[in-house]
Amino acid sequence: MSPEHPIYLEDKLEEIRGSGRLGYRSKSLPTWCPGCGYYSMTEGVTWALNEIGLRNEDVVIVSGIGCASRFPFFMETYGFHTLHGRTLPVATGIKVANDKLTVVVVGGDGDGFAIGGGHIPHVARRNVDITYLLFDNGIYGLTKGQVSPTSAIGFTTSTSPFENHDQPLNPLMMLLSYGASWVGQAYAGQPGHLAEMIRAAIKHRGFSYLHILSPCVTFDKTDRTYRNLDFSVRNLPEDHDHSNRLAAIREATKVDRPAVGLYYVENRPTLSDTLDEVMIRAGGKPAEQAGAG
Amino acid sequence: MTSIHTDVQIGICGSAGDGTIAVGDILKRAMARAGYRVIAFDEYPAEIRGFGKCVARTRITTEQVYSMKPKTDVLVSLNDAHAIPHAEEVRDFGAVIYDSAPITMIDEGWHISGHLNPGQLPYGLPMREISEQATGSSRSRNIVALGFVAGLYQLPRQAFIDAIAAKFQTKAAEVTQSNVAAFNAGYDNGAEIYRFDKVEVGPPARRTRVHDSTMMTGNAAVVRGCLDAGIETFFGYPITPATSIMERLAVEMPKHGARLLQTEDEISAISATVGAGFAGARAATATSGPGFALMSEMMGLGVMAEVPAVVFVSQRGGPSTGMPTKTEQADLNIAVFGGHGDAKRIVLAPTNVEGCWRCAGRAFEMAEAYQTPVVVLLDLYLSNRYETVVFPNKNPFVRDAWKRPTQDNANEPYRRFELTADGISPRAVPGDPHGIHTATGLEHNEFGRPNDLSAMHFQMTEKRHEKLNAALKHPGITIYKRFGDTGEVDVGLLAWGSTFGETLEAMLLARAEGIRCAAMKVVMLSPLPVKPIKRFLKDCKEVIVPELNYEGQFANLVSGAVGRDVIRFNRVTGKPMAVNEILDTIRSAAGKRKLRKSAA
Ligand SMILES: Cc1ncc(C[n+]2csc(CCOP(=O)(O)OP(=O)(O)O)c2C)c(N)n1
Ligand code: SF4
Ligand SMILES: [Mg+2]
Repeated sequence: MSPEHPIYLEDKLEEIRGSGRLGYRSKSLPTWCPGCGYYSMTEGVTWALNEIGLRNEDVVIVSGIGCASRFPFFMETYGFHTLHGRTLPVATGIKVANDKLTVVVVGGDGDGFAIGGGHIPHVARRNVDITYLLFDNGIYGLTKGQVSPTSAIGFTTSTSPFENHDQPLNPLMMLLSYGASWVGQAYAGQPGHLAEMIRAAIKHRGFSYLHILSPCVTFDKTDRTYRNLDFSVRNLPEDHDHSNRLAAIREATKVDRPAVGLYYVENRPTLSDTLDEVMIRAGGKPAEQAGAG
Repeated sequence: MTSIHTDVQIGICGSAGDGTIAVGDILKRAMARAGYRVIAFDEYPAEIRGFGKCVARTRITTEQVYSMKPKTDVLVSLNDAHAIPHAEEVRDFGAVIYDSAPITMIDEGWHISGHLNPGQLPYGLPMREISEQATGSSRSRNIVALGFVAGLYQLPRQAFIDAIAAKFQTKAAEVTQSNVAAFNAGYDNGAEIYRFDKVEVGPPARRTRVHDSTMMTGNAAVVRGCLDAGIETFFGYPITPATSIMERLAVEMPKHGARLLQTEDEISAISATVGAGFAGARAATATSGPGFALMSEMMGLGVMAEVPAVVFVSQRGGPSTGMPTKTEQADLNIAVFGGHGDAKRIVLAPTNVEGCWRCAGRAFEMAEAYQTPVVVLLDLYLSNRYETVVFPNKNPFVRDAWKRPTQDNANEPYRRFELTADGISPRAVPGDPHGIHTATGLEHNEFGRPNDLSAMHFQMTEKRHEKLNAALKHPGITIYKRFGDTGEVDVGLLAWGSTFGETLEAMLLARAEGIRCAAMKVVMLSPLPVKPIKRFLKDCKEVIVPELNYEGQFANLVSGAVGRDVIRFNRVTGKPMAVNEILDTIRSAAGKRKLRKSAA
């Protein structure tokens, strides 16, 4: 996407101001290291919220603990910066309490797949209508560079000084087999595509999981770098059938050439639908929900 | 004839296959229907199947009481081998009823009749034969025995027949008919017999209508409290003895438009509860010790982010998996202090079934009003025991009990954690355009932005602590109360949770013996009502703190707060405190005073 004419700062600022996107940004500037893949998150989420036209007060961003999880502070929406690994159950609670809210969950690979790994299958199978943006840098950024469950074999970190020997997880395969109703992958080095994927993920009714490959420029100089990812990341094949779970799993196994795009989507009842069904069976009727008054 | 003040305790003992718990259930329901007050607690084996020992104890009174009596008046044995060790519980001139023609041969020495003390009065009844004659089967010998007791003491027959009909409502009509026939056969036998024990049952206090009082367990009262308080979401993970809270709510909540979810573990349960609280819902979870231990970290987030959440914890024997079907009061420490950091929260410990309802309802108000997690601490004994409860006609619980932001400063950025005089900040929830903020577990400033400057951490820590003091004056709940003699006393008892029932009973018995004594219950364990406790202790020459844990967790809490040591009376038997053991302790404390006095 090389620009045809030079970009001038003033024009760019004008464009951003005019877009309405800034309305979703808080007065706090992001505190990430310069060059961190996470900057694509503010870009992508503000763009997506603006495109969809959601009201600030109807959006809740839930995060765990980690560099990625700092995100809610940079946003002018409701936010809950929770505990390491507990984003998904907190988000479930928010959604159960008030269906009308758009709940976006943000976290890192350690947050999601190490300490919080036990919660993922359950939000997936219940199809809780939330969006999970998992920023995978293959390392623990906030605690200054330790090995993570998605670190590559051979990766040397402060707690794997003699290289990592544990096989990394394959999050996409896990989510596909857990029954997530929307599974996609994006790359922080392609912010335009990432933003579009975020929009699609939020718009999906049900649990959407977006895996985002994101370099930690400070603690990973060798493995998940922009240079390596620029080289290895590919698009899903044009003819990929995203209604075919097995085809999606097949694509997810190609870990050396990670593909970005929508792997799988299906429509099925969400947790809210199920809970409403339970109410009807019990002879009750859905009441006014929290925060409505 | 002056009307007799009824106070009769009936124990039924048999094996799991004898229908022991079932007849105990009919007995207490019938007596509650007839307008008596009832407290009942069953003991049964931990195994789901098998022939382990069951004991169903029911105390029937004119006025509500909150513990079992030290001695049983009537013991019914459906299985002598199991009942023999319980024979000594029967008081002098009490009755022991047993099967005089049991179905199997009983070895020499295993007849309960050979194990009675002089003064305990045996009634041998051919239960099996009567059952066979009345119903064609020996299966109803438990109902025959129940009928016999009812006939012997001339208990209201119709109330029993109604209770039997209610119990077998879902079964075929013949089942009720045959059970009523067995009951009547037993009743007629009892009514005809010449009675020589000294057990008296008078009429109920006033002609109470059937539904003036409701008989329920502590857990059922918690459920009613939740519903009366307008619970909107519940997240839980099954664990004895808290499970029945979730099971009942699962039936009731959807009828009221409320949502319940069984989560993957307790971490998820408390996380979702805090999430729902953040979103503005009345949210609760329920667990026991092992689950509560898993919740510690998230409880801390609730404190830090000032999110309302209600957590019911029913204690069982610990540590670890411990004794899932036995009672204990050893989770006071984790309830009051559990978790890292200065994470003070509100802890309520009801002392009886009515209190379970009240604490449940008020817990939601408090969580909202003071923006904090509230723990309601029960124990297995309180969760599972039955009492008759009279509820007020009007639901007393207040909805929407929290301070919201006003429109006055709509143009200024919203201070979610504004430092106010009472420490309580106006709270907005998602959906409110004027209250946008991010809540965090990081130390933060008034806007909720991360901030770890010394002054800020001090101010915020102070706020989180001091705002809870208002809970000590929360309307509509008794957080402490003194009973017994007023003014100076020789012995004072300080108790919490279910053990207060036995403590009160022992104190009253000691007073009847002429010992000057008083008892105080403390319902709010955090923040602790230190001043009233101090005032009470000042009046007491000796102070006894009875509790079901090893070291005296409440004694530690109190003596730390008031700077005075107390007599610790601790039991870890897995059973409710025995009234006569507390009584003995009172006697010896009172005696010690006398000795000291005479020595001086
Ligand atoms: C219960 C608990 N354990 C450990 C930590 C310390 N901790 C904070 S962030 C983190 C890992 C962060 O890695 P990741 O989730 O991948 O996020 P990133 O910083 O890479 O965005 C750890 C171990 C914590 N905050 N809480
Ligand atoms: S440490 Fe790594 S992940 Fe964290 S902000 Fe810096 S570059 Fe990003
Ligand atoms: Mg990471």
